Amino acid sequence: MTEEVLQALLRALSFGTPLLLATLGGIINERAGVVNLGVEGMMAVGALAAFGLASGSGAWEWAVGLAALVGALAALVHGFVTLTLRANTYVSGLALSLLGLGVSGLLGKPYEGAFLFESAPELPFTLAAGGLAVLLWGFLFFTRPGLVLRSVGENPAAADALGIPVLAVRYLAVAFGGALAGVAGAFLSLAYQPAWTDGMTAGLGWIAVALVIFSGWHPLRAVLGAVFFGLLYYLQFRLQSQSQVPTELFAAMPYLLVVGVLALAGVRRSRGAAPAALGRSYQRGER
Amino acid sequence: MRGHGWLALLVLGLCSAAQAEEQKFKACFIYVGPVGDIGWSYAHDEARKLTLKEFPWLETQYVESVPEGQALPVIDRLVKGGCKAVFTTSFGFMDQTLEAAKKYPEVVFAHATGFKRAPNMATYMADFYQVYYLNGLMAGALTKTGKVGYVAAFPIPELKRHISAFALGVRAVNPEATVNVKWINSWVSPTKAREAAEALMAEGNDVLAFTEDTATVVQAAGRKKVPVFAHYSPMHRFSPDFVVSGQLVHWEKIYIDFLKKVRDGTYAPGKLQDVDYWWLLREGAVELGAQPGMPINPKWVDALKKAQMTVEGKPVSVHDRVMTLLKDMSSSKPGFDPFQGPLTDRQGKARVPAGKGMSIQELNQMQWVVPGVVGPVADEPK
Repeated sequence: MTEEVLQALLRALSFGTPLLLATLGGIINERAGVVNLGVEGMMAVGALAAFGLASGSGAWEWAVGLAALVGALAALVHGFVTLTLRANTYVSGLALSLLGLGVSGLLGKPYEGAFLFESAPELPFTLAAGGLAVLLWGFLFFTRPGLVLRSVGENPAAADALGIPVLAVRYLAVAFGGALAGVAGAFLSLAYQPAWTDGMTAGLGWIAVALVIFSGWHPLRAVLGAVFFGLLYYLQFRLQSQSQVPTELFAAMPYLLVVGVLALAGVRRSRGAAPAALGRSYQRGER
Repeated sequence: MRGHGWLALLVLGLCSAAQAEEQKFKACFIYVGPVGDIGWSYAHDEARKLTLKEFPWLETQYVESVPEGQALPVIDRLVKGGCKAVFTTSFGFMDQTLEAAKKYPEVVFAHATGFKRAPNMATYMADFYQVYYLNGLMAGALTKTGKVGYVAAFPIPELKRHISAFALGVRAVNPEATVNVKWINSWVSPTKAREAAEALMAEGNDVLAFTEDTATVVQAAGRKKVPVFAHYSPMHRFSPDFVVSGQLVHWEKIYIDFLKKVRDGTYAPGKLQDVDYWWLLREGAVELGAQPGMPINPKWVDALKKAQMTVEGKPVSVHDRVMTLLKDMSSSKPGFDPFQGPLTDRQGKARVPAGKGMSIQELNQMQWVVPGVVGPVADEPK
């Protein structure tokens, strides 16, 4: 029995790793007041970039770095469109998701069906993601730069009045979010399934977007959320033919939970712990 | 005048060049997945390339990742683009292909894995059930726990047929063994296939087989050193030590035969109502192994030679039994069929009487599964 629980927990940690990485990125993004629905696309380009480099060189550490860079660059496109050009942040994010999937599919053609002889170990990713959650928690709530970041998301005008470069902070946060989404993709194509398949992100980016809300924009709760969602995903197969509960219920659970949480927040007529200026662009002098 | 003569020749030359161009025959392919899925669509596309090499008069076009239910607009586009033969390569394209066949009576259609035909629409299938039986024999010999895991895509007749044939093979060697099935309800989903494989291994299944269009299960099994049977395309390289065997397809055998007959007029619109390819080992449309020319991974031959089973009261090695049956079923007159009666379904109801086999139609519409298959099976007759 304990062995089975341990097994399930290990699978939850493995599947939860890309979710946690992308969610942490999303939390930092949104704490600075920027919504980025492009996680799925950024993960896809990160996965491809990492796979492309690793399959050529075999050095997965560099591949992870490249995935972070590519993810950040993709996110900066979103940043430029929404922060500088002040276009609709939701439309831009959706476009980034579709674009990322499309571009990775197109550029990934030569790698279709390729795989890595030497796959990357999963454990370092999992440990790094967990450690990062603690670090970001400390950063957000116990450091001055963390306070600055949050103030930009809560009240950009006040932050601006205090001399904080609102736009720069938001750009940084967006780039950071993209980098983590890229690393999440790298985990998929280097360790989880060390091969390239078009569309291998399989909607994980969208679960991460939901997890940001589910975790209440809190890095430590994101760990719980990612493990919990990972567990649900594994259990839909583990419990198949072992229990009377239809496994479709487990498959639908993440989305049911997100809807439930959003509905509750709506009932309470609050936005939960959402940053007050979330999703609103800021321009000096505008109210 | 002289100049005009040259001009006339030039015009004539251009015309005949254009005519040669016109004589090219365009065949088009619609795939349900990406051609790089290392599975179903990949295999069809490899076959398309081989067919293209065969016929100098042929040109081809393909559209990949077409969602089931969106075939018709794609066919419209292809026919407008000059396609004279259209191959639709997924079960879910069946009804729309039939609709298109009525809409374009001058175009030749062929639908893979379906059972509906029309005067200008044939059906074709390269089926694995014999190969799955042979894989099952080996799986039955290699399992120590008596539990063989199977990651399955959708509970459709094709899968039930293959899982059943596999289970019959497993039980021919190891009568107590079970084939434990996990459905992922997807043709291409590495994440689901991975977690389903992990769940099966966690439950004590020590040999895996699957139907999903990536190499995920092979990789997952290889990491845990669990013997595994590859599906559909050459996957030996994904786990050279732990892939025992598998199923390989050669759709080009069908495409080449079909297009040759379309070209010479044997198959024209109006003549296809009864054309149904159901090609197996005998026609070379399928092959046993995880890569061409390697029916059994040499690393596993010794273990399979040591494993014994009883055939008609006599002990034989599983290896020899596999090779004997492979030779028999590849011959022009096979004497052995995995679905030879008497057979019951897993509820105990008699399904195939002694001495009888199953017709193609029965195989194509098979909703029941044999004893030894464990797990929920949708649409199973009570």
